[in-house]
Amino acid sequence: MGENQHLVEIVGVRKSFGANEVLKDIDLTIGRGEAIVIAGPSGSGKSTLLRCINALETIDSGDIQFDGRSISDAGKEVHKLRAEMGMVFQQFNLFPHKTVLQNITIGPTEVKGIPKNEADQRARELLERVGIPEKADSFPADLSGGQQQRVAIARSLAMDPKLMLFDEPTSALDPEMIREVLDVMRDLARDGMTMMVVTHEMGFAREVCDRIVFIDEGAIIEEAPPQEFFENAKSERARDFVDKILHH
Amino acid sequence: MGDYWRVLSNNLPDYLSGFLTTCQVVGAAFLIAMVVGVTVGALRAAPSTFLNRIGFIYVEFFRNIPLLVLIYLVYDGINRAGIISLDRFIAGAACLGLYTAAYVAESIRSGVFAVGQGQVEAGLSLGFTQREVLTKIVLPQAIRTVIPPIGNLVIAMTKNSAILGGSLLAINDLLLRTRQIYASNFKLYQTFLWATIGYLIITITMTVIVRKLETRLAIRR
Repeated sequence: MGENQHLVEIVGVRKSFGANEVLKDIDLTIGRGEAIVIAGPSGSGKSTLLRCINALETIDSGDIQFDGRSISDAGKEVHKLRAEMGMVFQQFNLFPHKTVLQNITIGPTEVKGIPKNEADQRARELLERVGIPEKADSFPADLSGGQQQRVAIARSLAMDPKLMLFDEPTSALDPEMIREVLDVMRDLARDGMTMMVVTHEMGFAREVCDRIVFIDEGAIIEEAPPQEFFENAKSERARDFVDKILHH
Repeated sequence: MGDYWRVLSNNLPDYLSGFLTTCQVVGAAFLIAMVVGVTVGALRAAPSTFLNRIGFIYVEFFRNIPLLVLIYLVYDGINRAGIISLDRFIAGAACLGLYTAAYVAESIRSGVFAVGQGQVEAGLSLGFTQREVLTKIVLPQAIRTVIPPIGNLVIAMTKNSAILGGSLLAINDLLLRTRQIYASNFKLYQTFLWATIGYLIITITMTVIVRKLETRLAIRR
């Protein structure tokens, strides 16, 4: 029965920071193998929603189910759920005192108890996959932003996650490095990884994702396949957003 | 100048034994200071108010009383209470180590807070528990960043170790030996020059080691 469920089910989620309500009654489901892009103006609550899914933020009410288990009810076991999802951050957040290879193997060896040589081999395969096998023994500080972000993706993938969360993965990158990161993400989506991507890269959204979820002021305004969203958005606000972002 | 050399050659075994005792007591105190200091520093930075308080009480207790008073309390106090008879060397190393640990803990804590929230979130998102994030990701970085201030503390501790020989503990360290030599020859400068050099040998060696560690373990950003 697990296979038929949605991987993520978000029901009636609310979240405030003080008096500021950033998520207002969010309902959203993500199917297995689906890649969705969460779009919307700055401060609309996109990142907060993503962070609630792996419990980096706690929700005030509602429920988030991941693979049939409630995140908010997980309590002290929440780290087990987090180990099943990958998260890629805007600022990469690689561990600066560890080599690229150690960054990728620390999760598998320390959290999952996989033997070191096995984890090393898998890490090298992943570096191959993200296109920088020669950087295994470098330190993060020696890498460009794009390379660091690809290592961060490899680090998440090393945990064999069921879901990958991307929180503005290209926003901190110089323009010439955005492509190399998006290429890796596109390949991932094509390989059937379930992904939620918060991004302003509408080219990526149009080309890669199955569905765009448009959020504004803490509420989901519209959900649609990319083509429909870009050419035929129903809501005024979404049309306005598309107009601004495509003709800037 | 001949006078200086004569004092040294006449008393070399005493100087050496004092020097060695100082090295030993500083070594033992260093181990205590690091183990206790890192532990208390971790408590100070742990995600639990209760643990924070324990660390806080430790630091404020040991930081706010003079080392000499601590020595009286520990050595004379415990021995008079007759619970256990404490070896002078152990009592001295413990006082010096526990006292320095309070400062080490504060350094570690500042190092922990210098490690960004992003590191914590990256660790959590890989499936580490809060505690594992602290011990496996944050602390290793914190310790690297606070090597220079901890080096200073260890040098200060070496100099503080002279209090052990000077106090009622009367550990036969470099200072006490030097004072004994002085009491027999009344040549102040000639006698204390060699104690000065003895302490400098230890502290300068430490400075060199700290520099090396600093370059070796530096986190490049």
